[in-house]
Amino acid sequence: MKTKIAEYRKRLGITQEALAAKVEVTRQTIISLEQGRYNPSLLLAYRITKALKQHTIEDVFLMD
Amino acid sequence: MLGKPEWFTRRKWGGWGLCPATKEGWVYLAVFVAVIFATQFMFTDEKSRMLALGVVAAVLILDTVDIMFRMKKDERETLHEALAERNALWVIITVLAVGIGYQTAVSIAQTGTATIDPVIIIAIVAGLIAKAATNYYLDKKD
Repeated sequence: MKTKIAEYRKRLGITQEALAAKVEVTRQTIISLEQGRYNPSLLLAYRITKALKQHTIEDVFLMD
Repeated sequence: MLGKPEWFTRRKWGGWGLCPATKEGWVYLAVFVAVIFATQFMFTDEKSRMLALGVVAAVLILDTVDIMFRMKKDERETLHEALAERNALWVIITVLAVGIGYQTAVSIAQTGTATIDPVIIIAIVAGLIAKAATNYYLDKKD
């Protein structure tokens, strides 16, 4: 699954570490998500969407 | 109980349990080793030494289990751990099954009757019970 996590994160000026702390995962999980290697649960996708100040999950996560 | 989860990391590459990740984790381990040594010098008779060693080992094992339960894991880490443990379990079950077959074949060839180490059977039955209990709990929970 492709994501726009890195794009929105950089736009907000927050590090991978800070985003990881905000959504209660490890930095490695954020790296995997940004690289599209890991598909998150609905709950994590929702948390990340809110942390990146986006409205819908589809704004951040794009189905291939 | 005694140790804090943030002092350790989950052992991923060299077995099961915990690995110290911070200075506090190493101090925790060193204290346990020191206590074990101290109990061996404190008592003169073998029975008391063994008893003291057993008590310290039991405390260490219980505390390790407690720390592992309290250790925070995100969903990706939980999934990875579950898959790694599943794969390890399947290898163990395969080896036990081969062991049963080997023991049966050897004992029949030597004595004419099948003799199997009961520990292998107990391990498999205990695993079955744990699996059934986990599935029962998860089905009720979710």
